[in-house]
Order: sequence, then structure tokens, then C-alpha cells
Amino acid sequence: MKSPPLLLFLLSSLPAISFGQEDLWSDDDWGEEDQASRWSGFIEAGLGTRFGNDPLIAGRSTLEEIRWRLESEWRPGHYAIGFKGDAAYDRVENRWTGDLRDLTIAFTAGKSTDVNLGRQVQTWGTGDLVFLNDLFPKDFVSFFAGRDDEYLKAAGNAVRVTLYAPAVNVDFSWTPVFEPDNYLTGERFSFFSPLAGGNVAPSPPLSAIEPSKSLSNGEFALRLFRTVESREYAIYAYRGFFKQPNALTETLQATFAPMNSLGASLRQPAGPGLLNAEISYYDSRDDRNGSDPRIPNDQFRFLTGYEWEAKANFTVGLQYFLEWTLDHDALIDNSPYPQYEADEFRHLLTNRLTWRTGRDKFTWSLFSFFSPSDHDFYLRPVFAYRRDDQWSVTAGANLFDGKDEHTFFGQLQDASNAYIRIRYHY
Amino acid sequence: MKNFAIAVVVSLLLGTGAAAQDTADADDIVARANLAAYYSGDDGRSEVRMIISDAQGRQQRRQFTVLRRDISDGGDQQFLVVFSQPSDVRGTTFLVDKHIDSDDDRWLYLPGLDLVKRISAGDKRTSFVGAHYYYEDVSGRHPGDDVHELVETGDQHYVLRHVPKDPGSVEFASYVTWIDKTTWLPMKIEYSNASSEVYRRVEVLEVQDFQGHPTVVTSRVSDVQGGGQTDMQFRYIQYDLGLPAELFSERSLRNPPRQWLERAAD
Repeated sequence: MKSPPLLLFLLSSLPAISFGQEDLWSDDDWGEEDQASRWSGFIEAGLGTRFGNDPLIAGRSTLEEIRWRLESEWRPGHYAIGFKGDAAYDRVENRWTGDLRDLTIAFTAGKSTDVNLGRQVQTWGTGDLVFLNDLFPKDFVSFFAGRDDEYLKAAGNAVRVTLYAPAVNVDFSWTPVFEPDNYLTGERFSFFSPLAGGNVAPSPPLSAIEPSKSLSNGEFALRLFRTVESREYAIYAYRGFFKQPNALTETLQATFAPMNSLGASLRQPAGPGLLNAEISYYDSRDDRNGSDPRIPNDQFRFLTGYEWEAKANFTVGLQYFLEWTLDHDALIDNSPYPQYEADEFRHLLTNRLTWRTGRDKFTWSLFSFFSPSDHDFYLRPVFAYRRDDQWSVTAGANLFDGKDEHTFFGQLQDASNAYIRIRYHY
Repeated sequence: MKNFAIAVVVSLLLGTGAAAQDTADADDIVARANLAAYYSGDDGRSEVRMIISDAQGRQQRRQFTVLRRDISDGGDQQFLVVFSQPSDVRGTTFLVDKHIDSDDDRWLYLPGLDLVKRISAGDKRTSFVGAHYYYEDVSGRHPGDDVHELVETGDQHYVLRHVPKDPGSVEFASYVTWIDKTTWLPMKIEYSNASSEVYRRVEVLEVQDFQGHPTVVTSRVSDVQGGGQTDMQFRYIQYDLGLPAELFSERSLRNPPRQWLERAAD
């Protein structure tokens, strides 16, 4: 970038009235027509620590890494090639890691069909950090460890085809080889195991059995969507697997159960804010009557939310989320551990408060999850300071607690942590 | 004679050249200024860059391209904003469906998350990507949101004072606009707080003619009380490109329309 001293010199040496655009911007040009093939990215250092000890995990460190992001884009002819990748040294897991977030070739077929082939991050649905019909892979370990929100969405290898038509837009995504969530493995955070009756941190870390790499085990996701006079309607369908390893093989190893889902969503302005509602039905293909204790039951999910700007620069978001486990009686009757099974109705309330000050230089936010049925919660306070176009600092905490060890946030009570990240953009 | 009449009507609609009538009433002046500032041509394209300077003199930059399409002159409009700089906002896009008789619909696309985020209606007199400009300055404030009063008719400018109909929805108590009598462009706007102190100023520093439309090419927003300012420069301006309505959709948020974003060969 340009040297600030030169600009400061220019600014201070010119009388205000003669700040013609040429003077002010004289050390810069408008960039090439094709800004594409330039490299950019960031270098980030992150440090995070548990508040207390997790007796199952050596060391308190939850985040200790240096990360280098590199990205670019090329546009040969009618194609666009995108690249975005991270290399990081992770001291918590004591290894170098690579995270290829984007390597795609995109083009337009015909007039109204966009195709994006390759490794990519995909998102749809209306929830804020709550997912129903978005069954693209997520990385909860990164999320809980305090990496940037971006990393909650993991990349997957997929073919994405979107057809835009006046009646309805059709969005289709095919992931040939199943991409699970990045789930809790016991490496960074311990997790609850019903078999053990408490938290575990297995060594080697949990590695769930993934579906075989056959064509029929690919993931198919479909979204039909349309916006009519400020209202966004969508219908969703999915064929694949539960994204978390919440099933067991016959030899009691963690695995992913086959699943279909069907859902719909609506988002529209209402009063001073935005209202959203989303439903989804999860069809657990191998346990439709709910009697197999190794396989999750069918589920009905419902979400509604409202977000509005309560005052200038202060935004409030509220969500209610319901997970209704079907055939719950059959689940309890057949379960070897009925005391650890999910309630028939799991209620979750979330609240997002965002306050921006100093023209967005400072962002103070608090995201809260609270489940009155599971009696657990998760608080995510984050403070972000964007000093300039190069430097930013983010500090935050992930606070978990719960009455029981077997609930989603309850199992993470020893994982509560605070972190800080410093990032330099280039 | 007929041609002359058409020429007058056209120039009034486009906000160019018509000899101003000193008797014009405030609402009429505001309507013409609104057309001149936001509705030139049936559509338009401009590249924009901003230098945001804080009170300590530290600077940030933004660069983006704006596409605009009018559904009707003085009526509903569509805007698409595609960022190219700095690196952490590159690829971010912003879509506005501006409505005259209801709240605007606004979406932001965040490429890192592949997330189409909708922005609630209230959230408009807040900083646009860290600048002293507000979201509302990008697409224009609805003339119907304020009560307008002609304060002074000078040689070059109409001076108008505007008071919000809903004072709770905005941070200002009133603002005063200096509107050029020839081009109808608002050349200076000063916002005052409840104690009648000016705390924010928007100034046009340079105007150029593109395809017969006088167009702001340099402007500045100053934080009069806190210090700091945002300088804004517009280039590669074109009108009447024939932008299709479908351009202003989720498709363009995710996949910005290169065909329309590229600079025309000069």
C-alpha cells in the first residue's frame, strides 16, 4: 500500500480548499482494470487459554497459532478461478495445518446458469449461528476455540449449479464425497460419551467412521428460492448424512447416519426489523420408527427470529429454536442410556447484541445461547478493533456452563476460554 | 416550438440547464435536486474511492463500483455496490432495492462465509463501511421523510432547511442544503443537532458533465465536531448503459456481473 507519511505530508502541506482529487489521490492510481490477479491475504497470531483445567486434556491452551492466508482470483476468458488458502502452525495440536478454503472454477452456462466447481464454502438458510437446512460442513472446533467466525463454515469439494429463472431460482449442490462437520474429537476439547458416562478425550482422538466413497453416498442439496416484494421464500431438500457423528456402528464406533431433509424458510421486513422463520424435517433413513438406539431419530426443527436496530449502531437479534425429536418414547424405551438422551423438545433461545462505535472501528458484540430445557448456555462476547486497513485485533471469550454434563453446551463447561487474535492484512 | 418544449421537459427531468425560477417552492426544488443527485439517466455506473481520515489523521481507503438502475424518475431504484479494496472487504457486495412508499430492502454478501445477510431497515444513518458517509447517503434520503422550507434564494443557490418528520429515527434536528440553481445539485449540506450546532457537513468539491448530466466527481463529508473526514472521488462514470433489472438480485451479490463492472474502452 501507499506510504502514510507521504499522504500526511500532502494533507498537511496543501491548503484545504485546493484538495483537488488529483492532489489527494496523487500517490495512488485506480488500479488495473482487472484487479483480479493480485495476491492478498493476512497473517494472524492467535492465543487462547482455558479459564480452568480440563482434567482430561494436558495444558490450558485452546488457541496458539500463526496463520497465513493467501488468496487471489484469475479470469481467463469467461472463467473465473478462485484460490483462498491458509497455512498455520498450530501449537495446540503441535502440527502444521493447511486449510484450502477455495479452489474453484466458475463460469456461466447459457445465459442464466452459474456453475462453481471445486472446493468452496457454501451457506444458505436464515438462522444466525443456528442451522436447519444449511447442511454444509461446519467447524465447531474453530468456532469454540475463538478463530474468526469465517471458520465456522468449513470448505467442501462440491459442484454448485444455480439456475436463475423468473418463476423460481434453483440452487443445486452436489458433494460427491460426504463432508462431515469438524466435530469434537477430544484433542482440543473433551466431549461427553454416554458409553463412558462422562466426558472423554480419547487418544488417538475420535475419528468417526465415514460413509464409503460411493456415488450413492454423495450429498445432494437443493434450494428453490424466490424474492417477491421484499419477502424471501425458499424450499430446501437434502439427501446425505447427519453431519455430526451421532450414530454408532454395530461395533459401537461413532459414525454418521443416513439422513434426508426437507424444509422451508421465509425472511421479510416486519416493523422496524427483519423477521425470519424456518422449518426442517430430518428423516433418519435407517431408524424411521426411532427404535434403534444406535441411530438418531427423525427430528422436526423450527426457528423463528427477529432482528432490529434498537438505536443507531446498536442491533438486537432474538431467535427461538426448537428441536423436536420424534418417536421419543421408542428412543427412551430402547436406549441403554435413557438418562442421557435428548429431551423430546429441546428449546434454544439466542440473543445477539452488536454495538459499533467510532465509525465501525470498534465492534462490541455478545451472542448468547440459552437452553431452558437442557439447562445450559453458551456466551460469546467479542470485541473487535479495526485499527486501519492493515491491522486489526479481536479479543473474546467462549463461556459454557450447564446443569448436566451430557447436554450440548454442558459437556463444554471445562472448555470455557478467552482468546486474542492480531491480524495484519496485506 | 414543439422541440423547444420537449427540450425544456427533458432538461427539467434530467436536472440540467433549465433556467431556475426564483419562485419555485421548496418541495419542487427538493424534487429536482433529488433527480439531479440520484436519477441522472435511466441507469448509471461509477467507480468510487474513499479516503477516510480520522481525527488523528490516520487514513483508510475503500474502492468500489456502483451500478444503479431507476425504475422511475424520482421513484424506486436499485443499486449494486461491489468492493475491490481493501483486501479484507474485496468481494463484498451490497444490494439496495430503494422504495419510495416503504422501507428499502438491503442485502450484504460476505464472501468468506458465502453469506447473504439482510440488513434491517432502521439501520441506515450509520457509517457505510467505516466512512463518514452513511448507508442512506449511498442511495439517497427520501424527500418525503422531511419537511422542506426555502430559506433563501441567492444568485447561485437555493438555500433550504429540512426538518425530519420522525425526529426519533435520525441523529439530526435539521439540515440546511445549498442547491445550485443551474445544475440543481446539492452543493453543500450542513446537519445540526438539537442545540443548533453544525456537526456534519457534506460538500461537493467538483462537478463534471457526463453525457449531458452534471455529475459530482469529488465530495467530502466532515465530522465538524469530532474531527475527521471522508473524501470521495467518482470516476469512469457512464449513464444509460441499459442495465437489466435482473442484475439487481442475489445472483449479482454472489457473482458480480463482470460485463457491467468493467470499464468502457475510452
